[in-house]
Amino acid sequence: MVEKKDDRYVEVGYEYAPLEFVVTPELNQQYLYSEEDFDRRYLEETEAGPPMVHPALLLNMSNNTRSPSFYLPPGVGGFHSRDETFFYHPARVGKKFKVTWKVVDEYEKRGRPYKVFEAKIVDQDGVEIMKRLIHATFAEQKYVK
Amino acid sequence: MANKEFKEGQEFAAKPKKVSWERLWTFSGGPFAQTGWPKSNLHTDLEFAKKCGLPSVAASGTQHQGHVVQLMIDLFGMEWLSHGTMDVKFIGVVDAGDMLTARAVIKSVEAHNRAKKYTMDVWVDNQRGEKMLVGSTTAIA
Repeated sequence: MVEKKDDRYVEVGYEYAPLEFVVTPELNQQYLYSEEDFDRRYLEETEAGPPMVHPALLLNMSNNTRSPSFYLPPGVGGFHSRDETFFYHPARVGKKFKVTWKVVDEYEKRGRPYKVFEAKIVDQDGVEIMKRLIHATFAEQKYVK
Repeated sequence: MANKEFKEGQEFAAKPKKVSWERLWTFSGGPFAQTGWPKSNLHTDLEFAKKCGLPSVAASGTQHQGHVVQLMIDLFGMEWLSHGTMDVKFIGVVDAGDMLTARAVIKSVEAHNRAKKYTMDVWVDNQRGEKMLVGSTTAIA
């Protein structure tokens, strides 16, 4: 059983439980629909190699809300404010991916607490796919003006 | 459009996309195979969003970040996924039904070994012309 920690109180240095997932053609196609992007490079083998994972799938699956240890109580939502993304290699459908997250900074802006999470995605062969610095705050009633 | 040379000031716009409820749920509701799909969260459930103090659902920023990525791949090819960078801020709440357009303008072109490094301002606006996402990207081509 993974220990969950209220995300409002995680501190710099905290590492979330990693997420491992396989991108099946069906999961990839789910994101092609949501992104309205049906380029054949995501559906079949092309001159660029086997079908590629849509990058939006990787962005979504590497939000820290996807970690098995992520927790927020009812009435509180995580809110993404900034994203610094570094792309290293394309990802291929059928592979398993591992996402790791670590809190690397925290700050306050206009009375709201913000945290910065470093997210890294590697595939089953150890190939680095993407790194993100995700700045996030919280949506809850007390911040409504 | 990949492998073309671009000049400072050149502007680009992606095809406008409607963030329908169906696309919101598909993006943020979790994998279809998951029990209880779509997962309830502030992106997919109006009541959940209201309990968090929001007036409407708020599409995940990564959903329209994806529109910017698609524009970059259209401009620079799949190679962009091997060296591209993106630094964006989410400055507006995207509601269900909004029509979004990702845009880019070339701000600078520098020599980079035997290639060129492009720096672009990027943004995503809605049907009212309000910016929802702003930032910058880089590409080598």
